[in-house]
Amino acid sequence: MASKEVMHIRRDPRTLYMALAMPVVMLLIFGFGVSFDMDRIPLVVLDGDRTVASRSLVRAVSAGHEFVVAADSDEPTALRMIRRGQALAALAIPAGYQRELAIGRDGEVQLIVDGADGVVANQILSKIDGLVRAESLRRIDVAAEPPLQVKVFTLFNPEARSALFMVPGLAVYLLAIAAVLLTALTVSGEWERGSMEQLFASPVGRLEIVLGKLLPYLGLGMLQLLLVVAVGAMIFDVPIRGSVALLFFVGFLFLAGMLGQGLFISVVARSQLVATQAGALSSLLPSLLLSGMLVPIENMPRILQALSSIIPARYFVHAMRGIMLKGSNLSILWTDLVALVIFALAILALATARFRRRLA
Amino acid sequence: MIVKPRWSVQLRAVVRKEIRQTVRDRRIMFMLIVAPLLQTVVFGFAVDFQFDHVPTLVVDHDASAQSRQHVHRLLADGTLRDAGHATELGEVQRRLQTGDAAAALVLPAGLARDLAAQRPAEVQVILDGGDSNRAVVVAGAASRYFGETAETLVKERMAARGIASPPLIRATPRIWFNPSLKTPPFMIPGVMTILLVITTTLVTAMGLAREREMGTLEQVLVTPIRPLFLLVGKMTPFLVIGCFDVLLVLTAGVWIFGVPIHGSLALVATGTVLYVLCTLGIGLLISTVSRTQQQAFLAGFLFAMPAILLSGVMTPIRAMPTWLQVVTYFNPVRYYIEVLRAVLLKGAGLVDIWWRLLALLGFGLALLTIASLRFRKRVA
Repeated sequence: MASKEVMHIRRDPRTLYMALAMPVVMLLIFGFGVSFDMDRIPLVVLDGDRTVASRSLVRAVSAGHEFVVAADSDEPTALRMIRRGQALAALAIPAGYQRELAIGRDGEVQLIVDGADGVVANQILSKIDGLVRAESLRRIDVAAEPPLQVKVFTLFNPEARSALFMVPGLAVYLLAIAAVLLTALTVSGEWERGSMEQLFASPVGRLEIVLGKLLPYLGLGMLQLLLVVAVGAMIFDVPIRGSVALLFFVGFLFLAGMLGQGLFISVVARSQLVATQAGALSSLLPSLLLSGMLVPIENMPRILQALSSIIPARYFVHAMRGIMLKGSNLSILWTDLVALVIFALAILALATARFRRRLA
Repeated sequence: MIVKPRWSVQLRAVVRKEIRQTVRDRRIMFMLIVAPLLQTVVFGFAVDFQFDHVPTLVVDHDASAQSRQHVHRLLADGTLRDAGHATELGEVQRRLQTGDAAAALVLPAGLARDLAAQRPAEVQVILDGGDSNRAVVVAGAASRYFGETAETLVKERMAARGIASPPLIRATPRIWFNPSLKTPPFMIPGVMTILLVITTTLVTAMGLAREREMGTLEQVLVTPIRPLFLLVGKMTPFLVIGCFDVLLVLTAGVWIFGVPIHGSLALVATGTVLYVLCTLGIGLLISTVSRTQQQAFLAGFLFAMPAILLSGVMTPIRAMPTWLQVVTYFNPVRYYIEVLRAVLLKGAGLVDIWWRLLALLGFGLALLTIASLRFRKRVA
């Protein structure tokens, strides 16, 4: 059975190439393209003062690589530029700024921020905050050292590189696609064409049919996992600080569960079109959004947190990040493993049961 | 000789047949209507980049009234949450590893004494870099708090020495368009964008591949209907469903998540139709290069994922390397999401976004032309 399915896959090399090209392409895009960290943010300067002090403030803000002055203009222009996306913030210095400072009063300036993208807006706010505070202290000219300093250490990912954060999550996403959708599509394709009934007429047992269908895709999934980990390590220097064997074992458990889910969908869906949509809805969306891959689970409302606890991707993301970035071992990750085993057994049992009922 | 029916009759017949076929399949209809709503709700609630209550360990080696006060004040604004105390770094490391804390604040022994004696002091913040976004937010909150504290200290010390406290520069933030920096108004337009790729591109590509698999396409082609009308007829239901989905998601977004509509809905509608032309064109193109539904699905996915990731839907385009930013100009998804956000959130008018609409129109026409040429060649 398995060799028949392998032949099917091999006879259709275009599918195989695409299934193998997808992880690499997506990894490259994720690694290069997916980052939240901005520099050279375009800023409009609204300098109503035009004095030495105001120019010094503008210089302090735009000297580094964080901001570039996109225009030196007035408020309507700033509004227009921000609306068109040509600038993301504006620094408004009122007339009389230098005079106020000279007589010993605080210099009030305004920072206008495009709030549409909250992540970017937060970055702008904290970057400007730091730069303005530095300029403030420079003006006071206090004895070199500030009285209280904060030193930030980042464990596991000291340069805060998005690739390190994304690659383990991406592996999870890719495996979910490969396993659930490819299985759901193949098996529901067989229902569609009626070749499944033919198979049952043959003397092959049902369990053999199920296993035969799943095994080649299990192999394909493991190959994808290997590709993702290898490309991640070679191009983006993603470390594997824990055990490689454990990583692949967890991957295997996750794949088994996902294949079971794909099988289950195919039995319920019948047509490939419906299977795709059901697969996308039940595995891609939760794997992307509720697994903690993009946004941390503790940031979600209670209901979604509860929902995420029945999604295997959640445990796999946790385990992958643990093994790759934090060097976690079995004593920390055993709960994830148990959860994955339970899910895989439950969904495979359910799928096989539905499978049998459908035939009867 | 067979007299060919007039084109309008041909077109009407195909459109009617396709609509009936799509509506009859309950499961497809369910997927096209319920799925978008479900995605909107999950997306809206799950994706929240406003970090608050980040679990933070407190390692207070000083254990003085002053150190406790600093901890209390830092936690007061709600960005960080007290996740318990730890006494040594090994414990911090382990708890960051298991993930039940995301940051640790270390106050050194003698902090209060050093500050009183005007010796420079240093506090430490240890972050779990596994989630770089959250790490940035925590680092920002800590730096801001201790920066303010340092400023206050400088002023106090100068005042104590009888020096008039020096003026500071204060930047008051004023946030336009989305003052509370909520994530849903930003993400819901993204959901609309992603959804259209999935419902139109993938469904068209797979639908046509399926007809090819089953041979029904050839059957229709021997009838006197011209291939072009056949295509238009096949796409019409999806154009309608696509526009309907956009309306559905937008309504849900406005009602549930308070997405604002600052600009003109006519612009949104124009943008949507132009964008759907692009996504349908791509779906058609994919169907001409794939023989099976599985291939069509994979190819559709191979297009959809990069197109979505490189559009600015999830992460800002400006954060990409320059060469990749250039690539995004060839991505129709980018123009649509920019149109949606500019019109809905910022109240942009035609003067602000006309060239993006033009780009969508250009892409749509080009894609549809290439795809129908290929389609005709394959059929012939």
